Amino acid sequence: MTMGSYRQQPGASSSEVRKDGKRVAGKQVFPPPGSGGSDPQMRPRDLDFIPETVGGKEPKPAGDHIHDRDRTGTVVGKPIPLVDSNAKVTGQAWYGDDVRLPGELIGKILRSPHHYARIKSIDTSRVEALPGVIAVSTGQDAPNRFGVLPVTKDEHAMAIEKVRHVGDLVACVAAVDEATAIEALSLFDVEWEELEPVFDPKKGLEDHDEPIHWRGKYHLARTNVQKRVFQEFGDRSLVNAPHASSHGSWTMSGVHHGFTEPHAVVAHWDPNGRLQLYTPQQVPHYTHRALSTVLDVPMHQINVIRTFVGGGFGGKSDPFPHEMCAALLARKAGRPVRITFDREEVYWINRGRHPSHIDVKMTADDSGRISGFDIDALIDGGGFASFGHVTSYYNGVLATAPYELGSFHYTGARVWTNKPASGAMRGHGAVNTRCAVEVGLDEMAESMDVDPIDLRLANLLPPHSRTISGFRITSNGMREALERVREGSEWDSKFRQLPLGQGIGIGCGFFISGSGLPIHWDPKNFPHATVHIQVDMDGGVTVHTGAADIGQGSTTAVAQVVAEVLALPIEMIHVRSHESDTSPVDLGSYSSRVTFMNANAAIRAAIGIRDQLLKAAWEMLGYHPNVLVLNDRRIYYKHDPAIGVSYLQALHKAQADTGALIARGAYRSPPMGGVHKGAAAGLAPAYSFSAYVAEVDVDVETGLVSCTNVWAAHDCGKALNPLAVKGQIIGSCHMGLGQVLTEKMVYGRTGHLQNANLLEYKIPSVHEMPHVEAIIVESSDPEGPFGAKEAGEGPLLPILPAVVNAVYDAIGIRLRNLPLTPDVVYAGIEKHLKKHGLDDAEAMASPRLKHGPLQKVLVARSDEHRERDRLRQRSEDTSAYVNGVLFGFDPDRPLAEQVEGWREADEPLPEQLAELGFAGRAWLKKEQRHMGGDD
Amino acid sequence: MLMPPFELHHPSTVDEAVELAASIMAKGEAFDWVAGGTDVLPNYKWRINPKPHVISLAGIEEAHALSPSELGCMVPLSSLTTENNVHPLLVQAASKVASSLIRKSATVGGNLCLDTRCFWYNQSEDWRRSIDWCHKADCGTGADCRVIPNQNTLCVATYQGDMAPNFMVLGASVVLIGPEGERTMPLAEFYELDGMKKNVLKTGEFLLKVTLPKEALQRKGCYQKLRVRDSWDFPEAGVAASWIPGDASTLLVASTALESIPRLHAEQVENHLEAGELDPVGLAKTVQKSVKPVNNTALPPRYRRSMVKTLTKRALQGILE
Repeated sequence: MTMGSYRQQPGASSSEVRKDGKRVAGKQVFPPPGSGGSDPQMRPRDLDFIPETVGGKEPKPAGDHIHDRDRTGTVVGKPIPLVDSNAKVTGQAWYGDDVRLPGELIGKILRSPHHYARIKSIDTSRVEALPGVIAVSTGQDAPNRFGVLPVTKDEHAMAIEKVRHVGDLVACVAAVDEATAIEALSLFDVEWEELEPVFDPKKGLEDHDEPIHWRGKYHLARTNVQKRVFQEFGDRSLVNAPHASSHGSWTMSGVHHGFTEPHAVVAHWDPNGRLQLYTPQQVPHYTHRALSTVLDVPMHQINVIRTFVGGGFGGKSDPFPHEMCAALLARKAGRPVRITFDREEVYWINRGRHPSHIDVKMTADDSGRISGFDIDALIDGGGFASFGHVTSYYNGVLATAPYELGSFHYTGARVWTNKPASGAMRGHGAVNTRCAVEVGLDEMAESMDVDPIDLRLANLLPPHSRTISGFRITSNGMREALERVREGSEWDSKFRQLPLGQGIGIGCGFFISGSGLPIHWDPKNFPHATVHIQVDMDGGVTVHTGAADIGQGSTTAVAQVVAEVLALPIEMIHVRSHESDTSPVDLGSYSSRVTFMNANAAIRAAIGIRDQLLKAAWEMLGYHPNVLVLNDRRIYYKHDPAIGVSYLQALHKAQADTGALIARGAYRSPPMGGVHKGAAAGLAPAYSFSAYVAEVDVDVETGLVSCTNVWAAHDCGKALNPLAVKGQIIGSCHMGLGQVLTEKMVYGRTGHLQNANLLEYKIPSVHEMPHVEAIIVESSDPEGPFGAKEAGEGPLLPILPAVVNAVYDAIGIRLRNLPLTPDVVYAGIEKHLKKHGLDDAEAMASPRLKHGPLQKVLVARSDEHRERDRLRQRSEDTSAYVNGVLFGFDPDRPLAEQVEGWREADEPLPEQLAELGFAGRAWLKKEQRHMGGDD
Repeated sequence: MLMPPFELHHPSTVDEAVELAASIMAKGEAFDWVAGGTDVLPNYKWRINPKPHVISLAGIEEAHALSPSELGCMVPLSSLTTENNVHPLLVQAASKVASSLIRKSATVGGNLCLDTRCFWYNQSEDWRRSIDWCHKADCGTGADCRVIPNQNTLCVATYQGDMAPNFMVLGASVVLIGPEGERTMPLAEFYELDGMKKNVLKTGEFLLKVTLPKEALQRKGCYQKLRVRDSWDFPEAGVAASWIPGDASTLLVASTALESIPRLHAEQVENHLEAGELDPVGLAKTVQKSVKPVNNTALPPRYRRSMVKTLTKRALQGILE
């Protein structure tokens, strides 16, 4: 007798079965509702998906995990389609603009035609007189400020005094139809006083008659600097006499998320006077808070309903002024108001990646150790702060791993300019610097006559260590990722050996898996994520979470972990995540936190339900839960599967006295990190690691670059759903390729955004997509749900430097202006030809590598470190490890005691002021409160 | 985006179309012809010179003719890539236009009569208001050209059709029809500066069909298109060349996307051949010198001009092989 023959429902007769084992249509007996699918038989345990550490066959090379005993072999680790995919492929998913409420009005927004201007007056009388116009609103209706970060609230629903970029919101109108609303926009009479705009971020560092925002006593002189950062760790004397070095100055254009669905919102004040707001938001909770502030309505009188989100990538994570506008208009009109953006408006609200000037210097010593990173990042924030406070830190601090550094020095500044606001975009703040760092390593390896992969392998931080800035590294699959792409791409037979025009390059990535600090509260007081589960008589499991599925599959991940713990088919798990009325507070989808934090909370809640079921089974069977097994809708005695009860029997027993089962689970991150200013930025309960190799063809006569192959290894801890992880890796490649090759927000000579449309903003088409070999590395994170870490943002990072390095391998030219559009590459080639006195691009020489003496040293060290890392990963070696051990320091004593000149600083010393980079010059300015001026 | 309102007319014969146009003109109202609509209708949505009347040519049977020597204006570009009796050069060129979906609607006539493009012009109404309009769509303000300011007499918007240079090097003629009757001319003479005038069509006149001479069948051609992406993008520069293999005197070279009109480089070819043997690189340099792109498309003009040499060389090598 196989285990599969145990029946789910005692008493139910078997279905009629054909010879081929399938049931005869119309002749099968469906079990009672809720027992899961129509299969009356229990499926055997799927040992291939139960860890070997708890008696299954799933290998655990990284060691055991606290959640191993919660595995049932049901869905975790199996490639399954996303649970909401049917709604999407059948066109039934309801996105922002699909919401249609009876009596709706159409809202349109009047936008600034000026880069920077003072509003002297707005006369709305002609608008109000237009038949069909029901409500008009201007900034005066909502004077309260908001912003995604509590420390930098600098936005209003509509301009109060000044407009700060072309497209900034001035007023809005709701009318009976779109044509009337559009006509109404031409009837506003606005009197302007134009002000001198700032477009160049370098100019933003200078004093200005009329800074774009005014921060009172904290304002830096009269500049447009929104945030400046200084971070220094380690012994800077190490970098003074380097064995090798590299220095690159980069200009990176701003890029946009390019999501498919434009922003849309529907606002409706229900008959009880509560606001119901439908919006495709990544972070509904922040919108909820901002609405409350701007509308002067308590949060409990607002219900934010997240619609399906047609792509976000960070571009739908700010609370938006148009959401406020819809609510204001609906309140005035007493009718629902819908606002849907045109594509151009999507670019005007922007929040894309910051245009950046990044300068990276690095040095290495004579044993091939990286003695210092020196990074300067000047980032162009556009008209508002958005996430910029955090971005300013991330541009530096997320470069402190995966390599062990002798010292680290970072200066960053974010300036306001009269352009659409930059914000968070996939790989937030880390992408541009990472590209500069990885290309710098390639260049430094070349000057050392070593293979750049070996240079990296010999300088990696091990698992369970600490970065120079104090980040706690737990699981770390960096080494495996590098080794697997090296092997998969046949690197050793290609690198520096391909003919002119063909090249191969390497790049690595490092990213946070959830932000350690919930922005709005102290993690000691409230958890990061909470999940509620409810199971009623029918057996269906309803999961309430505020996790916002933006297409990345968070709903599926939550459903999967609950199904796994309870050993139920995933169709029995119903995730409810759309309404703030029913969802526990959640910080939403950003900083790659959802799988890590929400799935952890969901596991805890599911364990709460499971324990109630096991207790009931114990009472029924007389066996202690320790010897009971959950498998496919059944609970039975470990040593005799015939002794058991169905899931439904156990559930009904458990419900006997209490009714529906209810459980909740929460996740909070452990206390960690340093105490210096900015220590919380970049702090995460786990980090993802990745390594990509890209192969390119460069047409040396036109400068056109095409990426043909990518080997993409990403350490996501544990792939809960390998199909979704591969989708994220391939999608990240596409998005990153856009930034490195074709995409840019073009600001012309007049400061206008020239390409606010999808024809001229050049997202790669299917023709530009390389073959991507997605390689999943599983380092089993000790705190991740079943070992999982993020896979949504980190995989984007390495593709940029891998492509730039591959272009160098192909033509021997270092290019540092992104994107590498053909004109940029061609200009590089022309310059190169001129410098070398060549006429013909075909006559250029490809770079070649002859290993120098250091190569052997690096290979020997990385061989040693491979074993070190394996032991640490499996917790067979639990000794302390901090950045600095590679340089001979004792990890158990403070470094400041051991090294003369060791410094941890968040402000420059006076003698450093003269030598700071572009962004660092922000430190030459004083805050108003130290200037003795008025505020 | 909301389409501005217009009245759509569906004539079913050439005569009916011409009369309809005349009657609208007689009322002092404006109209546009529409074939596939993939260019003119997106412009309407951006409120770029929308008209109260639009006359569709879709109902005219003659406009759908497709044979080796005659192509009606309504023939979709996708047909050029799928039908058997189309010149290989036209197959090659058509398959590089926009995307396969757009080619299902986009037509031969529409591509030849494509409006010129400019990033100061192909923008929404709000956007153009923010730059105080431009010469090409000045909305009654008399605005200056934004590409080359302070001249105000010339529009330098760029013609970015792919088909024109290819038809030119096959020796194509166009048949125009209007209130004053029918006229036929070589395609090279159809285009006329500047970026606003674009071509010789008079109000009320439309391009009915393209005809190819018999000798076109003997011609071997090659089209080189410069673009950032292999789909969707208009050409940033394009060069077509053809000849009857072995006979240098039949060589024709034409370019597009470099100026406000596509150009047949008859003069450059003639001068080059007079000076000696056909040398692809030498001729390529001559062609390059004869064009002056301006800064109004995705890639900078200096680069586009440099590429004319490479594209011409490759097109010539393509037919000489």
